[in-house]
Amino acid sequence: MEQATEMVQTPILSSSQRWRIRLRTLTEIVLPPGIFFILIIFGWQIYITVREIPAIIMPKPTAILARLLEDPGYFFIENGLLTFSEALAGFAVGAVAAIFLAVVLARSRALERSIFPLAVVIKATPLIVIAPLLIIWFGYTIYPKIIMAALLCFFPILVNTIIGLRSVSPTSLEFFRSVAASEWEILIRLRAPHSLPYVLSAFKTSVTLSVIGAVVAEWSGAGEGLGRVIYIQAAHLDQSSVFAGIVVLALMGVLLTAIVGWLEQVLLFWHESKLVG
Amino acid sequence: MTAQAHIVVQNLGKIFTTAKGARQVTALDNLNLRVQEGQFFSVLGPSGCGKSTLLRIVGGLIESTSGSVSIGNGTGPRDAQRAKEIGFVFQEPGLLPWKTVADNIETPLILNRKANRPRQHTIKELLELVGLEAFADAYPHQLSGGMQQRVAIARALAFDPKLLLMDEPFGALDAITRQLMRYELLRIWERAQKTVMFVTHSIPEAIVLSDAVAVISPRPGRLRGIVEIDLPRPRTEEVERTPEFLDYNDHLKDLLLREEKNHGTSD
Repeated sequence: MEQATEMVQTPILSSSQRWRIRLRTLTEIVLPPGIFFILIIFGWQIYITVREIPAIIMPKPTAILARLLEDPGYFFIENGLLTFSEALAGFAVGAVAAIFLAVVLARSRALERSIFPLAVVIKATPLIVIAPLLIIWFGYTIYPKIIMAALLCFFPILVNTIIGLRSVSPTSLEFFRSVAASEWEILIRLRAPHSLPYVLSAFKTSVTLSVIGAVVAEWSGAGEGLGRVIYIQAAHLDQSSVFAGIVVLALMGVLLTAIVGWLEQVLLFWHESKLVG
Repeated sequence: MTAQAHIVVQNLGKIFTTAKGARQVTALDNLNLRVQEGQFFSVLGPSGCGKSTLLRIVGGLIESTSGSVSIGNGTGPRDAQRAKEIGFVFQEPGLLPWKTVADNIETPLILNRKANRPRQHTIKELLELVGLEAFADAYPHQLSGGMQQRVAIARALAFDPKLLLMDEPFGALDAITRQLMRYELLRIWERAQKTVMFVTHSIPEAIVLSDAVAVISPRPGRLRGIVEIDLPRPRTEEVERTPEFLDYNDHLKDLLLREEKNHGTSD
């Protein structure tokens, strides 16, 4: 055949088309929640001003912002960076351990059958309740925070990775077998890339869980960290500091989720979920 | 022409045990076949007759329960598979969606490297063979079903196997593409000079493509007969309007239906 009779479905976009898409993204995706968010903040500010609600019950958004700007080093660097590092270290430990165990379990049906149900049960348990115990074991160090964050990340990633490794297209698997590919080749060249959408989707849940884990462990006992800040300032009825801490935590969660979202865009360009129809 | 036997299937049997072990199903029963070197050999039968099972045993993907298969100079399917003597094309393309067309075709050369031959086809040659030179850098999701299946054929030919096994490769395509792909495959086969074992449930497809057609009956899979297709090559769409074609069509249909009546039509 001299020429292909069928057409490629995805056209190449011209630069003006690309700009039109960017403009549409702005008006359809960014603008509506942005306007809604600003309205809520306005409503909050007006409500507290009009009803004269005392600051120890609920601070005004302007007061929270003022507190943040008054001492940004305290919130973002001294405590924020510490909590962020604990969460990230915990996430890394949890993810590496979960993926390693998933690969082992996916290889053996017998092992999987004995361990996987337990993993599902533990995944459904609110693990944060063991935070005080970790403080007793490891003291006021960073270890209880990293362990707590790692534990919360571990099970979602484990369960998703196993499902991902197993969900390989049967034809692709048969093709690999038909050229006598080794189990290792099947794992690295077929199962691992195939499991990526599942793993990244678990990462998205887990990065925010890692922040929660670090904060809860700080709550249970720590010298520094945003969890500690919130705990102490709540006891001092300094609600603008409490909310300033919450704002930093929220920004942290958004940042981490955005990073995973970006990874998805880059790594999963081939996956159904990323293809525009 | 003194053709050598490429595949010899002797007294082949396959019994499947259901998952709970409660029932045994005889998929293949005492099957005997010879496929000559360079021959285009089709296995024709209704769905569930065990023809795919036969192909999977020949390709070394599953073990037979009884009997033997020898490929080339008496090697078993598993050894032939390890030596990269067999290219396999399945009903679905089974391409890797994260790889480009060129990288997909290259995949079998990366796997099981120690069996690679010193002289392989280049990716360029393969793309040209299946008429997809312009799509080397496209991803599978950008291609139509027929184009994806052509990539799968190029991939199966990458390590230059002597034997090509095809399991209803056009089964998932629409009728028009399927019709086009028949002649596309003939063109590729005439250039690549391989022994092909082709599984199908389409009578016209089997006649147009094959030198010989084995008809298999369902439950249990038994050989109903082998029909030599003596139509001149190269064949074009004209062949489907010749009286000889219609005779073969009737003959094969008779062979297929006779058996179906004996065993009922349940699926």
